[in-house]
Amino acid sequence: MSNVLRRIEIPIALTVIFTLLQTIPYYFRWESDLKLVDPIEQASSIVSQWVLLIVAWSIFIGVISLLQVHGKTVQKRSKGWHYSIIVLVSCIVMAIAGLPFAEVGLGIKNPVYTFLFNYAQSPLSATVFATIAFFITSAAYRSFRAKNIEATIVLVAGLLMVMSNAPLFTATLPVVKTIGQWIYDVPNMATNRAVTIGGALGLVALAIRTLLGRERGYLRGGGD
Amino acid sequence: MSFVEKLQNIDRRWIYILAWIFVLYPLINPLGLPVPIQKESTAWNKAINDIPDGSVVVFSCMFSIASIPELYPMTIATFSHLMTKNCKIIVATFWNDGALVFDQTLLKQIDPATYGKVYGKDWIDLGYAPGAETAMRAFADDMVNTFPSDYLYSKPTSSYEIMQNIKTAADVDIIVSFESGTPGVGEWLRQWNTPYGTKLIVGCSGVSAPGMAPYLQSGQLNANLPGLTSTAEYELLIKRPALATAGVDAVSMSHLLVVLLVILGNVGYFATRGRKS
Repeated sequence: MSNVLRRIEIPIALTVIFTLLQTIPYYFRWESDLKLVDPIEQASSIVSQWVLLIVAWSIFIGVISLLQVHGKTVQKRSKGWHYSIIVLVSCIVMAIAGLPFAEVGLGIKNPVYTFLFNYAQSPLSATVFATIAFFITSAAYRSFRAKNIEATIVLVAGLLMVMSNAPLFTATLPVVKTIGQWIYDVPNMATNRAVTIGGALGLVALAIRTLLGRERGYLRGGGD
Repeated sequence: MSFVEKLQNIDRRWIYILAWIFVLYPLINPLGLPVPIQKESTAWNKAINDIPDGSVVVFSCMFSIASIPELYPMTIATFSHLMTKNCKIIVATFWNDGALVFDQTLLKQIDPATYGKVYGKDWIDLGYAPGAETAMRAFADDMVNTFPSDYLYSKPTSSYEIMQNIKTAADVDIIVSFESGTPGVGEWLRQWNTPYGTKLIVGCSGVSAPGMAPYLQSGQLNANLPGLTSTAEYELLIKRPALATAGVDAVSMSHLLVVLLVILGNVGYFATRGRKS
């Protein structure tokens, strides 16, 4: 029995069933004549709710994994173990304080929870994000050099886009905005559209291979 | 090393100090530089103004705390603008930080009660649902089951007056989403706009703006508000100058620094290239 359950065909069949369950109503739901689609659509909707539960539970797995990794780091006194203590304490305190038991003072209104969010998580995240400004300025200075035709095109286009996003330049030189808008509307849009359509075609090919059981990368590392 | 040679190899620490000064100075001493109104902010303002009375709006903070400096001003400005409209607002997010961003920061700035909006009747905060695109699809098909209880008071969603006539995406007129990545515009388009025809407008960080161009041009996206500069313009349009207006001088100055440094680097490069050859 256990050998039957371990057969590779079972997850492939499940993948096919659940993929079609989502795909069929998506393309046929508005064809009111196709009454056959209604029960499939209902089933699809139920399965979507299942996924929410599965994802919610997977968050617990993430927390357990984090505790295991950093717990071992602290236990073995590995390099940077002090930081792991901060991770563990923050994770445990935030998780307990945010538990949805408002009657005992826990949850999103808990003062510890709101304090950690407003005075630790928010400023730390914003600070990390803000440091990008320094790196971008330095990187732009070093990389934007007119060393050849291609680099010059990138340099000119990049500078015009930078200028078209700054009111200082658009107020004094309105033509900068006009050129920047053209770069945005024409070459940028064409490139983005090509990337989007190319990616979509690739995904369709991947989906077909998965449905046919030829793509097995998501199963046991792709082996039989 | 001569002066022109130094120009193309300025120590990064000097650049960091300059960046720090160029950003901080205008924040402490606002320069009051002019802010020309461009088409993005005009389209955004029009999209909000054109929301008919009695419409249902899904308002979504699809960004993490790290994006607060850029996306928070546009979120506040738009939410305050929506408060002046006669519409029902459903707040929901599919980013785990999104619910906290709305609850801990935005609600401290804007109290819907001061606009005469009653919680549960005119607006509701449903919080966060895990599952990204799948959750967005589930939300479109069955709102109450996707968010069985609300975020602020943990009461059954179905018990609120506002949710009595709002069941699926077909009952929603427009999505107002602020986002910095995935899930975001692509997922809204796939799961809401295409199957249900729900209108969509998106506020995003400046770096995400190029990716919005195809959707804007195709008409799938009705308006896009990119970055702090457009937000400052929008704040001026709705006559509510706030965070973005205060920060837009810093944007101008930091961009000026980038332009100056790039020019200096190239002056140094061409000067020394001639000598080497």
